[in-house]
Amino acid sequence: MRPFTYTRASDPSLAVRELAANPTAKFLAGGTNLIDLMKEDVERPSAVIDISALTLTEIKPIAAGTSKGGISIGGLGKNTDAANHPSIRQHYPLLTQAILAGASGQIRNMATNGGNLLQRTRCPYFYEVAMPCNKREPGSGCGALEGINRLHAIFGWSEKCVAVYPSDMAIALAALDAFVRVKRPNGEERSIPFTDFHRLPGDTPEQDTNLAHGELITAIDLPQNKFADRSYYLKVRDRASYAFALISVAAALEVTGNTIVQARIAMGGVSHKPWRALTAEKMLVGKEATAENFKRAADAEMAAAKPLEHNKFKVELGNRSIVLALQMAMNGGKA
Amino acid sequence: MQDKNKLIGTPVSRIDGIAKVTGKAAYSTDYPVKNLAYAVLFKSTIAAGNIRSIDTATAEKAPGVLAVITHANAPKLNVDGGIRGGALLQSPEIEFYGQHIGMVVAETFEQARHATHLISVTYDKKEPKADFEKLAKEAVPSRDKEKADASRGDAKAALREATYKVEEVYGTPIEHHHPLEPHATIAEWNGDHVTLYNSSQIVNGAQSAAAKTLNIKPEQVRIVTPYIGGGFGSKGGQWANLVLTAVAAKQVNRPVKLALTRQQMVNSVGLRQRNYQKVSLAATKDGKLTALAHEITTHGAIKNEFIEPCGDCSKIMYDVPNSLITYRTVPMNVILPTYTRGPGKSTGSFALESAMDELAHTLKIDPIELRIRNEPERDPSNGKPWSSRTTVQCLRAGAAAFGWEKRKAEPRQNQQGNYLVGYGVACGTYPAHQRPTSAIVKLKRTGNDIMATVELAAADLGTGTYTILTQTAADALDLPLRNVKVVIGDSDLPPAAGAVGSVGASSYANAVNDACQKITDELLAKSGKQFYARPTAAQLMRSEKITDYQTRIDAKPLESAEEYSAHSFNANFAEVTVNRFTGMVRVNRFLAVTGAGTILNPKTARSQIIGGNIWGIGMALTEESVVDPRYGNFVTRSFADYHVPANLDIGDMDAIFIREDDQKANTLGVKGIGEVGIVGVAAAVANAIFNATGKRVRELPITPDKLL
Repeated sequence: MRPFTYTRASDPSLAVRELAANPTAKFLAGGTNLIDLMKEDVERPSAVIDISALTLTEIKPIAAGTSKGGISIGGLGKNTDAANHPSIRQHYPLLTQAILAGASGQIRNMATNGGNLLQRTRCPYFYEVAMPCNKREPGSGCGALEGINRLHAIFGWSEKCVAVYPSDMAIALAALDAFVRVKRPNGEERSIPFTDFHRLPGDTPEQDTNLAHGELITAIDLPQNKFADRSYYLKVRDRASYAFALISVAAALEVTGNTIVQARIAMGGVSHKPWRALTAEKMLVGKEATAENFKRAADAEMAAAKPLEHNKFKVELGNRSIVLALQMAMNGGKA
Repeated sequence: MQDKNKLIGTPVSRIDGIAKVTGKAAYSTDYPVKNLAYAVLFKSTIAAGNIRSIDTATAEKAPGVLAVITHANAPKLNVDGGIRGGALLQSPEIEFYGQHIGMVVAETFEQARHATHLISVTYDKKEPKADFEKLAKEAVPSRDKEKADASRGDAKAALREATYKVEEVYGTPIEHHHPLEPHATIAEWNGDHVTLYNSSQIVNGAQSAAAKTLNIKPEQVRIVTPYIGGGFGSKGGQWANLVLTAVAAKQVNRPVKLALTRQQMVNSVGLRQRNYQKVSLAATKDGKLTALAHEITTHGAIKNEFIEPCGDCSKIMYDVPNSLITYRTVPMNVILPTYTRGPGKSTGSFALESAMDELAHTLKIDPIELRIRNEPERDPSNGKPWSSRTTVQCLRAGAAAFGWEKRKAEPRQNQQGNYLVGYGVACGTYPAHQRPTSAIVKLKRTGNDIMATVELAAADLGTGTYTILTQTAADALDLPLRNVKVVIGDSDLPPAAGAVGSVGASSYANAVNDACQKITDELLAKSGKQFYARPTAAQLMRSEKITDYQTRIDAKPLESAEEYSAHSFNANFAEVTVNRFTGMVRVNRFLAVTGAGTILNPKTARSQIIGGNIWGIGMALTEESVVDPRYGNFVTRSFADYHVPANLDIGDMDAIFIREDDQKANTLGVKGIGEVGIVGVAAAVANAIFNATGKRVRELPITPDKLL
C-alpha cells in the first residue's frame, strides 16, 4: 500500500467534482475490493474519496409516469439490504438469489450496490504485481492467455486479456435489463443500459466499464417485468460458498400456457462482462418450454464459445447450466 | 488404571476457552512489547537464478525506515542450523519463487510495507524446474534410507500372474497448511539473550534451530508460545521468518515484530508436495490380497529433499504376502515440502483406499467385507503383535451407525431428483508413539487447600493440551480441576516432545501422570509412615503439614512398547450427493469411527477428529495450490483462490470412538488422534462419488469439471 490522501465526501456533487479533478483519485464505498487491491499494490490511488456517508441508499419505486416503472436501488445501499428488501424479494427474486450467491455474509454487509458493479477481475495475474497483466499494466502482456486459465473467459476475450468479470449481482442485472444511473462531474445525470455498462477487453482491457472518470453510480433502476414466478440464478463453483463462479446463469422466462413469450439468459464466469445469451434467448421466444428446446438453445449459444487450454470444460458446463437454470426457472426455482 | 480416573475420559470443556473467545489469550504478536519496530519481508519474483542487484536507496530514505536488510548486509548465519527451507538472506542465489530476498524494518508496519514497494531488483534468470508433470519422468530414488525400496515376497510376479487386479495412478496436488494464525514473531534482545514470541509446535526444536542458526547457545534463546492458532505441521520445523526477526531486532537494536501475510504464506513455511502414486493390487476371486505395490513419485526442493511417507498405510493395513513400496523424487524450484497433517498417510490412504474400492467393485464384494477379509493378525511389515487394533470393530460399528445397508452395491443406482447419491468407506491409520518429555509438578498448600502447578515445554495447537493435562494431573493428584494449573509453551520449562506426529497427548499426559505419581511417592517416603490405602499427594501435604513441595520427572516411553506395533486406526464413512448437471458435490453426512486407545477428553477429541475430517473433505473436493510452470509462482495465494471448505460445504459430521484399553502402548494407553482424523477421509469421499456417479476420479481435488 502506498501513501494516499483520504477525504470524506458529504455531497454527491462535490464528490464527483473532487474526483474528476484528480485523474488518480478513487472513490471508496464498501472497500471490500479496493482496499484489498491497495494492500497488494495493484491499485495505487493518490487520493481516496470516501463516499460511504452519502445517502444514496434508498430502495424505492421509480416515479409513476416514467416509462420504465419498476424499482430503483441506491448506488451506496448495501448488497445485503438490496437482496433482502421485500420488494426485491417479491418482484426480482433473481436479483436476490444472485446477490446471495456472491461473496460471504460479512462482505455483502459491507459491499455496496454500485461498488459491486465496479469490482475488478479476480484473475491471479492481475492480483500479483510481478506477473504480466495488460489490465493492470497495459503493454505488459496477458499472463493467463498461455498460463493457468481454468477460471478464464470462453466468450469475447482478446489476445490482450482473457479475464472474467466476477460479480454475481451484475449477471442478474444484465438479465433484468437494468439501467445504471450515474452523476457526472458537470452535475448532469445519465442512464446507461446495463449491457452497455461493462466492456469486452479488446485492445484496452484496463477499462472494465464505460463509466468515465468522475462519474458516480447513484442508483440502479430495475424495469418492471413478468419474470418473478419463473426465474433462477444458478451458480456452479468449486465450493458451496465464497467462491467465484465457474459458470453462472441468470435465467428468466415469461410463459403463457407452455409457450415462451420472453426469455432472458445472462451468464457469468465466461466473459469480461456479463454475457447475455442472445442467441439462446432468440431461439426460445415463441417456442414451447421443453427440455429439448432448452437444450437446442444452449447448444446454439455455446457453439460460439472459444475455450482456452484449461477451461474447455466450461463449454459443456455452460451448456448444462443453461438447461438446468431454465428448468429451475420453469419450476419456480425448485429442483 | 482407567477405573480410578474421574476426569480422564470425561468431556470437560476446554479450560482456555473463555480466554480465547474473549481475546485474553495472547498469541505471538499480541505481546505488549514496548518500542516495537516492524519488519516486512520482500520476496523474489523469479524461481531460479541469481540476484544481480538490489537497489534499496529509495526505500532506505522512505519515511520511518530503520533498516533494509538483504543478502548484501545480513549477518552470517548458520544455514545448516535446523531452519527449514533456506531463504536466510545468505546468498544471491534464488531457489524458488517468492524466496525471501530481504526485509524492511520501520517504525510502523505501513511504512515498512510501503518501503518494500520502492525496492528494485534485477536478476540473472534461469529456466525454473516447476512443471511436475514433465519432471516426474526424471525422478530418482530417494537419498533417505527410510524411503529405500521395501519389498516383501515378489509383488511384481504376483501381479503378473493375477487374474483379478487393479493398477492405477492417483494424483494429489500441492496443498498448503494455511493455519488461521499466520506465522508471526516478536524478537526482543536483552544483551546477548533473545526472547522469541513465536508459534512453535516443537518448543525446544524452535529454540535449538534459532540458536544454532544465529550461532549462539540454546540457553541464549527463549521461545514463548503459550497459544498457537493452528499449525498442521507448518509450525513444527521452523522457517526463516523466525530467525530473520531476531536478525532485524539486533540490527535496529529494538524489539521487532514480523508477521507473514496470507499471500506470503504460500512460499514461506513449506507445503504438502504433489504426488503421483501408482497402486497395484492383486487378489483371488474371493478377495484375498496376493500383492500390493505402492510406487510413489514426488518432488523435493531444489537442494533438499523431503518426502512424505505415502507408502506407510500400505505397509501395515492389509495381510498380503507380496508387497513393494518405492519412492522416486525429483528436485523442483519450490519451497521445501514439509510435514502436513497426516503426512503421507492422508495422501497415501487416498491412493490405497481408492484402489481397494476399485478392487471391491471389480470383485463384486462389499468394500467393508473386502477389508475384513484382509485384516492382518500382526503387523505385516515387522511381524510384531499389535498393541491394539480395532479396524474391524471400526468398520462394523460404523456400518451400523451410518446405515451402510442402504448403499446400492452398483454405482449410479440412487438418484433423487437432480442429484445422485452415493456411499463410500475407507480406512486409515497413524502410528502411536510416546516421546521423552520432562515435567515439573509443584504443590502448594494454603490451609487445607492444595494448588498444583504442572510445568513443561509442551505446545497447544489449539487442540486441548491445557485441558487434557489439567484432567490428567487432577486425576493423578486427586484434586478438583480448578486446583490444577498447567503452564506450557515456554522453553524455560522442562523440555518436552513437540505437538507433532500425534505424539503430544501421549508424551505429555504420561509425563504429567508420572510426575504426579512420583510426587506422591516422594511425599509418602518423606512421611515415613505406612498406610493401609495409598494416600493422595494432597492428603500427605495436609497430614505432614508441608506447604511447598515439587518434583521433576524425565519421562520415557515404556521399554516394553518396542515389542508391539502401536497405531491408531479408523474407518470413515461418507454420503455424498452429486448434481448430475453441474458435477457439484456435497458431503451430506460423514462419520469417522476411531480406535485410538484412551480418549482423554471425548469433547476435544471429537472436535479434533471432525477438524481432521473437514480438512480431508477439503483434500477430496476443493484444496489445490496451483503453480504456473513458466514462472514457478503459485496462482492460488489467498483464501479466495485456495479453497478450504466453507460452512456450507459441511453437512452432518459425527465421530465415534471404539473403546480400547491399550497399556502396551504406554501407561495411560493414549494412542493419539491429531493425525489419524484426516487419514482415509479423501478416499471415503472419492469412493462415495464413484458409488453415486460411476465415475472414478483419481486426481484430487474432485472439482465439478471432473464429474461432467
